[in-house]
Amino acid sequence: MPLSTESQPGDEQYVLVATLDNVRNLSNILKAITFKDHAIFNATRNGLKVTVEDSKCLQANAFIQAEIFQEFVMKEDSVGFQINLTVLLDCLTIFGGSTVPGVTTALRMCYSGYGFPLTLFLEEGGVVTVCKINTQEPEEPIDFDFCSTDVTNKVILQSDSLREAFSELDMTSEILQITMSPCQPFFRLSTFGNSGNAHYDYPKDSDMMELFQCTTTQTNKYKMSLLKPSTKALALSCKVSVRTDSRGFLSLQYLVRNDDGQICFVEYFCSPDEEVDEES
Amino acid sequence: MKCSIEGNHVKAFGKAIHALARIGEDLWLDPLEKGLALRAVNSAHSAYACFLFSPLFFQHYSPRLSTQTLGTPVKCQLAMKSILPLFRCLATIERNVNRCEISISSDENWVVFQFYCRHGIIKTHNLSFQESEALQAVFPTNLCPNVLKAQAKLLGDIARHFPTSQEEVTLAISPVRVTLKNYYEEECDRAMYTEMSLHPDEFDYYQVGIDSHITFCLKELRGLLSFAESHGLPVCVHFGPSGKPVSFSLDDMPLTATVVLATLEERTSDPPSQTGPAQTGPTYRWVPRMCPPYPVHPPSTVHRPPCGGAPSAPASASPAAHDGPHESPVLAEDRVLSSQASPVFSAAFHLRKLLDLQNPSPPWEEAVPTHNTDAEAAAAAATATTPSNNQTTAIEDMEAESICATTKMAANTIPATPLAAKVMRP
Repeated sequence: MPLSTESQPGDEQYVLVATLDNVRNLSNILKAITFKDHAIFNATRNGLKVTVEDSKCLQANAFIQAEIFQEFVMKEDSVGFQINLTVLLDCLTIFGGSTVPGVTTALRMCYSGYGFPLTLFLEEGGVVTVCKINTQEPEEPIDFDFCSTDVTNKVILQSDSLREAFSELDMTSEILQITMSPCQPFFRLSTFGNSGNAHYDYPKDSDMMELFQCTTTQTNKYKMSLLKPSTKALALSCKVSVRTDSRGFLSLQYLVRNDDGQICFVEYFCSPDEEVDEES
Repeated sequence: MKCSIEGNHVKAFGKAIHALARIGEDLWLDPLEKGLALRAVNSAHSAYACFLFSPLFFQHYSPRLSTQTLGTPVKCQLAMKSILPLFRCLATIERNVNRCEISISSDENWVVFQFYCRHGIIKTHNLSFQESEALQAVFPTNLCPNVLKAQAKLLGDIARHFPTSQEEVTLAISPVRVTLKNYYEEECDRAMYTEMSLHPDEFDYYQVGIDSHITFCLKELRGLLSFAESHGLPVCVHFGPSGKPVSFSLDDMPLTATVVLATLEERTSDPPSQTGPAQTGPTYRWVPRMCPPYPVHPPSTVHRPPCGGAPSAPASASPAAHDGPHESPVLAEDRVLSSQASPVFSAAFHLRKLLDLQNPSPPWEEAVPTHNTDAEAAAAAATATTPSNNQTTAIEDMEAESICATTKMAANTIPATPLAAKVMRP
């Protein structure tokens, strides 16, 4: 095989070397958070974290653990850079999206450190493509300060049911309102559009509801334009956890199973839409 | 109004809305005692559609809330673009929705659609509406000299031969054949002309009172054809000379649907002199029928011989005569006034129909026995003859869809302008 998963001579220059037998295990997850051009990559010995942000109100993170990779070598504790995500995805899918069984595209991703481009070696059926993508100075991702200890309400739903609701959401509504409560309506998504309002109610004893832990009744509004991109992650996932904290910040965590059955996570944080004259 | 639709019927309801969406941009919801009427009309008033769901279609149905004992039930007008998305994906509805409840609250001006889905999920949509008067087309189908009845598949196949971009088609009828061809306003060198002919045998019922050809908009009809095909229902076509509207209707026990389209007035046609019901010119020899010539199935009279004066005819399957007026004596209290003062219909008669499980043949006819019994002969002869039965009682056979096509002729002056069926807002 042209691309070996063993260390190549000349690898010493690289600070990060990651290889995958099936590049789709990375590209699919990255597609779920591609709503902006630029992404912040942060690699540690545990794996890769890719962050995309929008208008300081929304943050999406994709976590690909080291175990997913066939080889994952880090010479430093932490390595970070910013890169054009659209370009990266184009390169990762350069052999096209065909899903012929048995034929996968292999990836070898190498990074030499600050100032160097990210080098990708992609191989399929004996054909090798080398891509070098320029990197930029990484920005500091926003810390939404979302602590598990401050979580007031949490539900875990099977993605199927939520997927349908999200695909039917009234897009003329500027906001998506989420109500979580220990009593009726338990878990409700509401929109307020041009023709009227709509409510999607999920009872706590629904068989789609895997976990229901709501302590207080909370209603929060979020900008529809910010949450709409999360439907890509929803489409890939099998389960989603919805949590809000005392400030009304929303955390959506998606459990994604890749082609090989391994688990990755995608997380969205969103700040509530506050009206000037209203407390959050 | 409050009603509840179960299971598969929700999909049928959604399909009706899809068909109505092809016609106009607004939907009129009219809760009547006899059922819920959904109507649409296009902006040019040249196409009108009505789907009437009888109370049988619903799990339960009440046109007015218990708090609203006086007055008429609230009628509302909704934008099609607010209601269509609720029923957009019929496959999903079929899979997920167990029940749909619709209620109209006049205090808050909402129409509430609640979908009870599997896994306990409930979707509630509150749509704002405008209160409005009922929308109703006045079109006397029983005055139509030409009547065709065909299986939905036949009409669907015909429509498929024309490209979806084809706006208008011309249907020409004679005793020996029906021809359909596409219609272009101006002569086009590069257009593809399509023409097809059908033999009367292809139709379940074929009646030619007057040779004519009518040009109407096919696009607006496709919704109804698609609905009819998905339910496997036959469609009746009533029409007359060019310039007069054409009506396409179907009838399934719990629901009836009608689409009325204006037809292009041919410049060479007879001058429109509207002095009375039997209208439009010296070539007409038919007179108002007492019973509507569309599919009323009077099971009790399927094999009756024609009433008085008609040449005896084999009691064949197709157009058996029906002497409605004699047949079903109607008690005064059975008569129910339709909301638009159109002729009454008999509740008792319809109830008998429900109980009678006989499978009736196409026949609806009428008080003009010569027409029916010689349908095939008539097709050859192509003349309409005077009826031997002039009673004025008979309108009790009017189907529920009478609300859509009444026989209120006196006030009806069919306009001479092309593409303008009359839509009344009483």
